[in-house]
Amino acid sequence: MLSHILSFAASSGVGAGLGIGIGGGLGAVGAGVGIGIIFGKVIEAVTRQPEMRDEITSIQWLGFALTEACFFYGLVAGLISYVLK
Amino acid sequence: MSKTRKILYGVAGFYVLGLVLLAVIFGVTSVKNNSFQIQNEFKLTDWVHLGVFSINRAVLYLFISSILTIVTMIWIARRMQARPNRVQTAVETIYSLMRDNITRGNMPDSMAAKWFPFLGTLFLFIWFCNLIGYLPLPTNSEEKINIFGAHIPSFALYAATANISVPLVLALVVFIVFNWEGIRAQGPLGYVKSLIPAGVHGPMLLLIGPLEIVSTFMRLISLTIRLFANILAGHMIILFMSGGLAVILGLSVLGWFTLPVGIAVYLFELGLVATLQAFIFATLTAIYLGGSVTHH
Repeated sequence: MLSHILSFAASSGVGAGLGIGIGGGLGAVGAGVGIGIIFGKVIEAVTRQPEMRDEITSIQWLGFALTEACFFYGLVAGLISYVLK
Repeated sequence: MSKTRKILYGVAGFYVLGLVLLAVIFGVTSVKNNSFQIQNEFKLTDWVHLGVFSINRAVLYLFISSILTIVTMIWIARRMQARPNRVQTAVETIYSLMRDNITRGNMPDSMAAKWFPFLGTLFLFIWFCNLIGYLPLPTNSEEKINIFGAHIPSFALYAATANISVPLVLALVVFIVFNWEGIRAQGPLGYVKSLIPAGVHGPMLLLIGPLEIVSTFMRLISLTIRLFANILAGHMIILFMSGGLAVILGLSVLGWFTLPVGIAVYLFELGLVATLQAFIFATLTAIYLGGSVTHH
């Protein structure tokens, strides 16, 4: 099945666009789940221990940026496949 | 009706009216525009030809942000007052963020005093690089506007950090610095040993050892890609949403339709991403530096 799709993509010339679509799309899925988990846990932690808020906030942004970057790895991989064709 | 309500309704009404007017005047048929190439917006054209040292858009942005970093900080340090004004308070907040959160939070105190200038400069330089990237400057020499016979380059958004070479050089500096510091503190053999987690022996060493060494090199790639791709993707979404898509498809209604998204993304990038990426880069550098001298 997958090989059919891939051979169709290669023959019809949409392979380059497919690279960005799959790279960006799947990357966004993973990063979205991760960012959701981070902010959910932050809310949980702050409601449990409101006095730790400042410390948690700084760690939260670190985690957010590291997770968000995973989306861009997928996007960059897609862009590379687009450029290489 | 309250005043904010009125303004909100006014803006929404203006938006819908514009949408309808554009649809009526220009119709909703799209004409593909092949002459506009989106990648040309990020192209670097040499202005002054000097071989490897040619001056182009990215170099200009680097110069501006270096000058801003040096001049603003020295200017504020010169005219420090006991009773601070608003600018000084803001700079003092940034200073304490750099000193306490970035530097002291991630390394021993004796090291923090030594490495604070490096980390502070890194933070401020990347921060200014990102921030001036959201200021339209007349740097797009591909497209020129003709004003009374003078061809001035059109205004464009560009950031030096949206070009992969600039984050790569910064990441290389960081990579060399933390490896050098680790080797100096623990000796070459001790440093390689400290990369491998304690409690790993025998055959597991063959599996974990190469993995840990590869992951050290991956830091170089992840530092580069994180900064570069964040800024580039932000600029691309702003470009697409605030008109680029409409120009490619030749559909003016779409441009008006996506404009609010463009403005929202612009504010998000300016308010959060620009500062956050500079903060992350400096914090990770501090974590790597602190981690390289301690055995874990």
